[in-house]
Amino acid sequence: MKIFYTFLIIVLASGFLGGAEVSKITVDGSTTVGPIAKAFAEFYMKQHPGVNITVSESGSGNGAKSLINGSCQVATMSRIMKQNEYEAAVHSEVLPISHVVALDGIAMIVHPSNPVKALTMEQVKRIYTGKIKNWSQLGGPNVPIVIISRDTNSGTYETFETRVLKGEKIVKNCEYVGSNGAIRQRVQSTQAALGYVGIGFIDNTVKALPVNSVPPSPETVKNGSYPIARPLYMYTNDYPKMGSDLYLFVTLYLTRKGQAIIEETGFIPVTNY
Amino acid sequence: MKKTERNLIMSDAASRLRRLTALILKGFLLLATAISLVAVLLIIAYIARDAIPFFKLRGLGELFKSTAWYPSGHPPEFGALAIFFGTGLVTLGAIVVAVPLGIAAAIALSDILPYRLRQIVKPVIEILAAIPSVAYGFFALVIFAPLLQNRGGSLLSTAAWLIALPLGLLIIFAVTEIATRSIREDMVKTARLVLDAALITILIRGLLALSTMLNSIKISSGTNALNVSIILGIMALPTIVSVAEDSLQAAGRELREGSYALGATRAETLFKVIIPAAGSGIIAAVILGVMRAVGETMVVWMASGNAAQIPSPWFNFLSPVRTLTATIAGDMGEADQVTGSSRYHVLFALALCLLLTSFVANLASEWVLRRQQRKLGGLK
Amino acid sequence: MKLASRKLFDRSLTGISVMAVILMALSLLVLLGPIFTRGLGAFFFRATCEHRRLMLEQFTRGDQEEIAAETRVVTEARQPVYKMLADFEEELKSMEYARRRGFNTQLKEVKDLLRELLGPLPGELEAVMLRQQYGQTRWDRSLIKLGQLLYIEQWDYSDPSQMGKKFLAPRQRSFTGTQLEQLFPYLKNNLGKMLRPRFVFYWRFLTDVSLDSHFFGGIWPEILGTIYLTLGAMLFAIPFGIIAAIYLSEFASNGRLISMLRVCISTLAGVPSIVFGLFGLAFFINTLHLSSSKSVLAGSATLALLILPTIIRSAEEALKAVPYTYKEAALSLGASQLRMVLTVLLPAALPGILTGIIISMGRAAGETAPIIFTAAVSVGQPLKLWETLSQPTPALPWNIYNLATEHQAVDQIRHVQYGMVLTLVLLVLLLNLAAILIRARISKKMRG
Repeated sequence: MKIFYTFLIIVLASGFLGGAEVSKITVDGSTTVGPIAKAFAEFYMKQHPGVNITVSESGSGNGAKSLINGSCQVATMSRIMKQNEYEAAVHSEVLPISHVVALDGIAMIVHPSNPVKALTMEQVKRIYTGKIKNWSQLGGPNVPIVIISRDTNSGTYETFETRVLKGEKIVKNCEYVGSNGAIRQRVQSTQAALGYVGIGFIDNTVKALPVNSVPPSPETVKNGSYPIARPLYMYTNDYPKMGSDLYLFVTLYLTRKGQAIIEETGFIPVTNY
Repeated sequence: MKKTERNLIMSDAASRLRRLTALILKGFLLLATAISLVAVLLIIAYIARDAIPFFKLRGLGELFKSTAWYPSGHPPEFGALAIFFGTGLVTLGAIVVAVPLGIAAAIALSDILPYRLRQIVKPVIEILAAIPSVAYGFFALVIFAPLLQNRGGSLLSTAAWLIALPLGLLIIFAVTEIATRSIREDMVKTARLVLDAALITILIRGLLALSTMLNSIKISSGTNALNVSIILGIMALPTIVSVAEDSLQAAGRELREGSYALGATRAETLFKVIIPAAGSGIIAAVILGVMRAVGETMVVWMASGNAAQIPSPWFNFLSPVRTLTATIAGDMGEADQVTGSSRYHVLFALALCLLLTSFVANLASEWVLRRQQRKLGGLK
Repeated sequence: MKLASRKLFDRSLTGISVMAVILMALSLLVLLGPIFTRGLGAFFFRATCEHRRLMLEQFTRGDQEEIAAETRVVTEARQPVYKMLADFEEELKSMEYARRRGFNTQLKEVKDLLRELLGPLPGELEAVMLRQQYGQTRWDRSLIKLGQLLYIEQWDYSDPSQMGKKFLAPRQRSFTGTQLEQLFPYLKNNLGKMLRPRFVFYWRFLTDVSLDSHFFGGIWPEILGTIYLTLGAMLFAIPFGIIAAIYLSEFASNGRLISMLRVCISTLAGVPSIVFGLFGLAFFINTLHLSSSKSVLAGSATLALLILPTIIRSAEEALKAVPYTYKEAALSLGASQLRMVLTVLLPAALPGILTGIIISMGRAAGETAPIIFTAAVSVGQPLKLWETLSQPTPALPWNIYNLATEHQAVDQIRHVQYGMVLTLVLLVLLLNLAAILIRARISKKMRG
């Protein structure tokens, strides 16, 4: 019993240690922008120890809802807000202001053992709508394709649906996972898998295929030749007050160090300073 | 000298005060207890309140009859039949894994193992019950799924050997017993040997063929219904074992002693006397295990593949499925009532179905347990 | 049936049931085995000089002189590597264009891998992100990186009926005849001198904050968050639970109201955890507005609802197990029922109640679904006590899920994931062990 009480007192005491009032910034939203948000948060907290920035990655849709709800101050999204989200925001007296923090492309990834060398947009669409079911129809071995997609509140999914699927429905036997990292994990451990992730999530355990003969890379995204490119956003409620912690955090992408962070995470800074 | 002024008998006023305080206290305690009542009512009310609009908007038919689950499509479709099927399939798989194992283990614990071994096995069961579900999910995703994918065929064939060989041998011995009953005494031994040898060769041949077939199965995706069923079965085991063992123990020593006195073997006692007496308890154990499997979220979210489809054929455990709990967990962000659409309400509709299922299962298990108590209570 | 077959049946039943128990124990072993062995790898591992440098620079831990001396030795050992690189770049400048282009991509790969292995190359601008300021901190990961450096992973697609087969080609071959050719054997033979691995027991893994999204550092914010959530849940659930148990066992009459209450309690016990999470989000955050965003307060309240039935049940059992003679003796001495409960019943039932509480603590610590949308975030500072009322926190169960699926570099932080799972499992098992010990003491007291 005594041990328990002393332990309890130690924990509670450690809760009281440390000094000044802490201001907080809550960030919620896309798993694509997640690594950037987490890196920014750590960088900022190191420079300003009195601020606690918490980052959640539950999907672009959830980020939007939290911002409108008032439960977060920065919503990271990998797509632009939809019309009904804007309407709901206005209804709740929230004015969403978007900041484009980085550029990204959606890369189609397969297992490195897959001999297929490239895909076209049309082929990707037909795979995901179920008209192409086997790798042999694409020049590979006779293995059924395991398609993996993002779950429904993902901005990456929405972009993919708009640009590639053009509104058609995904076939029923498609597996769904909850984040970019999860797609990459499934693809790198499943030889027959095909999935899509943001460029920052490509590493040497998966193979990113060129789409319409354009490989996904920072250059092709920036000059627009990669067909599935998109900006990454941070939304705030109204423009943040000049000089406040929120303002400094959200404009990190304009500083040289912020851009170095974006590059080091694997994404593309909007421009180079 | 000071005398302590204390009356032995309380005055009327004092006793009235005491009774009043006792009443107030009782009322206060009742209020505090009623918080669980309030909580349950609130939960049902909130879930139902936000589920009803879905049924008003889309009616009852679509959710339960259609398999097209496209909540973010244009137009959105909310056919959850495949999801209900997915929950049912993994629950069925979990039952197939957990019930035989669980009941056999309960029998071992209550009748067969000596006291010291029992003291070792009980902590094992408690540890299995205490491991958090996210640890099970981590194991299913990180260790078990790649294992199934890379060595699935050989795993399946090893499992087939492990299960079929002992059972097959048992059946063969039983069959030879029965078949050679009517043969003369001096020829019986040789006859049995011959029959045994013949049947065993057939068994081994069959098993070899089965295992070569299983070895050649390539599991394309390790996150599927089989993965989840096995893990859910292991999670449901402790519940089944402890409740079943409790009810087997509750059958009592007199029943067992009476049966032994009449010359029955332990197995016969168990099968003909104890298990029928404890039958309702075992059924309650199975129901509780089922409830555990149905309500589990993290394991299915991480390792079931989340594909809203009815596998073809329906018993193909090697295909990914989607369950109710994973759908709710994956879409829970929609539960901010900002856009207030069918997508938000359908989550509550699914949660309502889950709630009603667990409510009914709970009532069933309680009723069954009470019946057993009454039955055994009369015998004591 | 003849006696032999009856005996056979009996023996086979014994065999089957014992096999079932063995299978159960085996499955526990298979489950916990990898978790324990790989989880311990997060605490016990061979740490390189980069790890010690990190500890000194980020956590101000370690002997400055010693590490400075070590850095000097290590830089000396690495000199040839950088010299070879510089010489090769000179050689490249004097090559013709076509050949140079071929080497450029290869060189970039080699330099990237060297950076990941040994840390920033001399003369380069300092990277902003922490993960690029240090080389490999663990010797086992260094060996994997070395393998990637020495061998190029290539795929043989010659068989059209199958997926490609992996084979490794020595990278040295692509650089034959250049200044870089000797780099690879040198690296292979001298990596130990360049990284100086030494065995370390990194117990501070439990008390360090995580740096750079769990690339370095420990898991203290998650542990503190789990502690806060569990204690908060206990704070809400214990009073209500014990009062309810006292009422149900002492004051309640067997009427309609009471049986309805009991039905409610068992219904609450059967509600799936995700429904609790949904309710917590809809009620505590969106309706009651306990906090403006996710917070430990809302998460604790949701968890409290989850464990309330368990506490009520175990407390009631403990109260019922107290011998009737205790209560009769107190009552016969003239004590009111309240006094009897407070001074006799509760103390006697305390060990049993405590057992139930501790087991519920284990349950609350391990639950994920209720806290996903009410309290848990991926990254955050360890909270001070008063901040728990309004701020969310990382928590062990949620972060295990997060690191195992959503993280940007899942393979590189496997040891952190296993470490987290081990910590959570050990925490829960220790709590259960405490409960078992208390229960053993009670049964000894009751028996003797």
